[in-house]
Amino acid sequence: MRPILMKGHERPLTFLRYNRDGDLLFSCAKDHTPTVWYADNGDRLGTYRGHNGAVWTCDVSRDSARLITGSADQTAKLWDVSTGKELFSFRFDAPARSVEFAIGDALAVVTTDNFMDHVPTVQVKRIAEDIDDQTEESALVITGIKGRINRAVWGPLNRTIITAGEDATVRIWDSETGQLLKESDKESGHQKTISSLSKSLDWSHFITGSLDKSAKLWDTRTLTLIKTYVTERPVNAVDISPTHDTVVLGGGQDAMNVTMTDRRAGKFEAKFYHKILQEEIGGVKGHFGPINALAFNPDGRSFSSGGEDGYVRLHHFDSDYFSIKM
Amino acid sequence: MAGLAPEGSQFDDKQYDKKMQEILTEDFFTSYDDVCESFDSMGLQENLLRGIYAYGFEKPSAIQQRGIVPFCKGLDVIQQAQSGTGKTATFCSGILQQLDYGLVECQALVLAPTRELAQQIEKVMRALGDYLGVKVHACVGGTSVREDQRILASGVHVVVGTPGRVFDMLRRQSLRPDNIKMFVLDEADEMLSRGFKDQIYDIFQLLPSKIQVGVFSATMPPEALEITRKFMNKPVRILVKRDELTLEGIKQFYVNIDKEDWKLDTLCDLYETLAITQSVIFVNTRRKVDWLTDKMRSRDHTVSATHGDMDQNTRDIIMREFRSGSSRVLITTDLLARGIDVQQVSLVINYDLPTQPENYLHRIGRSGRFGRKGVAINFVTRDDERMLFDIQRFYNVTVEELPANVADLL
Repeated sequence: MRPILMKGHERPLTFLRYNRDGDLLFSCAKDHTPTVWYADNGDRLGTYRGHNGAVWTCDVSRDSARLITGSADQTAKLWDVSTGKELFSFRFDAPARSVEFAIGDALAVVTTDNFMDHVPTVQVKRIAEDIDDQTEESALVITGIKGRINRAVWGPLNRTIITAGEDATVRIWDSETGQLLKESDKESGHQKTISSLSKSLDWSHFITGSLDKSAKLWDTRTLTLIKTYVTERPVNAVDISPTHDTVVLGGGQDAMNVTMTDRRAGKFEAKFYHKILQEEIGGVKGHFGPINALAFNPDGRSFSSGGEDGYVRLHHFDSDYFSIKM
Repeated sequence: MAGLAPEGSQFDDKQYDKKMQEILTEDFFTSYDDVCESFDSMGLQENLLRGIYAYGFEKPSAIQQRGIVPFCKGLDVIQQAQSGTGKTATFCSGILQQLDYGLVECQALVLAPTRELAQQIEKVMRALGDYLGVKVHACVGGTSVREDQRILASGVHVVVGTPGRVFDMLRRQSLRPDNIKMFVLDEADEMLSRGFKDQIYDIFQLLPSKIQVGVFSATMPPEALEITRKFMNKPVRILVKRDELTLEGIKQFYVNIDKEDWKLDTLCDLYETLAITQSVIFVNTRRKVDWLTDKMRSRDHTVSATHGDMDQNTRDIIMREFRSGSSRVLITTDLLARGIDVQQVSLVINYDLPTQPENYLHRIGRSGRFGRKGVAINFVTRDDERMLFDIQRFYNVTVEELPANVADLL
């Protein structure tokens, strides 16, 4: 496959997200300016200007009307997708890290980092249909987690919130009461920082990527560990194919060490594994820095990767991919 | 063979090491061994930390772990680290921590050898200092003198500039030195070299006698260290051995080209590979930049070019286009060998080998920036073979012959 290189970000990529229909791809980077691209040909459609710091994550509403972004400038912002207009700004006392809309788009979960005396938090914000009614009020605030929460997402039917982060633990919380319902097992779970988390299309299971050089597949309701994918590099990004039994892992050595070691030590390929058999199927090269973001298109026919090198690479799968037999 | 090198030769590694050892054994430096593994543990003020995290930093690099705190304590510092490993953020943080934001007078002066680099430093300083309300101005040649005077008169906390314009502003008293308590030389060995030394000396004479001095560079030869003794007071030093300066992450290759005339054809053969990502092509003279640019364009290859003789507005436009990825192949002189950080540069071509050995490291350091691997390709004629051999030995690096599948490297 010949990738489409998308140029536009002047600093490392941090996150990629397709909309529900799969025709738009949203990218976030450290250069303050989330960008939206046509997902088929990689043309740049527009940018969202207003943040004053690195943007760590984003999410888009089901109808592709609203975008939410979480930024190191200690705000999370709502945007009108089509006009690029900033609609609202949630302010925090620490960098905002992870953001996600709930089903129905009436709620969003936001995490904030530990910063000086502030402990990391998971906050649920109400999202008003009419922006004039929007407030900064939190419906729920969860504290008590040590270490940065790199990812927080909604569980099935919006009843739970799943968190993962620096302390290598996956947790499931009640999204109304904030009560801790389940915690991943210390022995079989990840041993180092969990960097990334991505859900299957039906939200029945999810995958986590970790600096312990593995990714793990979990049942969303029971937090049972289903599968483990072992690789030889820290994992910064993971995703699950919506249409095939494959998962993709990307990462590479710590950005701080990249220039100090021989190029072969980088291991910047996106690696595909069979979801059930846990065997590596193949890899896609191209980035010259660690991969920080990965996403499958909801139609399952393409995927995108974003790297420390500032590039978004869009890959349409060859027909060979669709006829893989294990 | 090494013993036969002429006295004082820049490539004489034994002489270099001997001089370095003499300097290091003198009682001129302050010992400082603390390492801070997180920004939070450095005792920085809250709004500076906000700026650091907003910039996207999450943990300090090696030079930042060692280098930020002694600078914040007001100590003179000499800090050397490999290309692209975070020196700019180190001195920017050190300056921002110590400014008095209630006093809108110039309190810190940073000098850089090129306008492009000064503007880049100003941008980082402004970003890190945003929550502190820092006022920083890039005071560089080629721009309106009147505009500089107006901005300086309205009050700034930090001036980042090139020596010629800064001296002019000091001489005209548009920039008043009374409150300057921090003085930083970026790319210090270049600033203390033949070309800039007198200007630096003239500026330093005009600054207050009690001042903190910081010097930063990826290359710090003994001649530069000697000069620092004249204006530094028992500095804390962080130095790297010459044979550890090269970044392993930058793969280095050579192409044997018998004659100078054949370099152009070789470059055209590589052009399709060049355009996949962003590349910088270095030549040694401004005239040659113009010549090579014309030749490439006449063969229907799209290239950009910049050098010191071009007017500043054009230089700014070209840098902006290159940074944003609108243009992908940039032909230039050593004007851009130092400091310039463009995210997507992954290939450097030395169409001519540099005349100064330090510039070899600086040139190839335009690729292989923090978190990214890079590739450097050297065009070597028969006349260049000796120089390439000397570079390999001096910096303890291996330069291999360019393989056929160069596109796979990028």
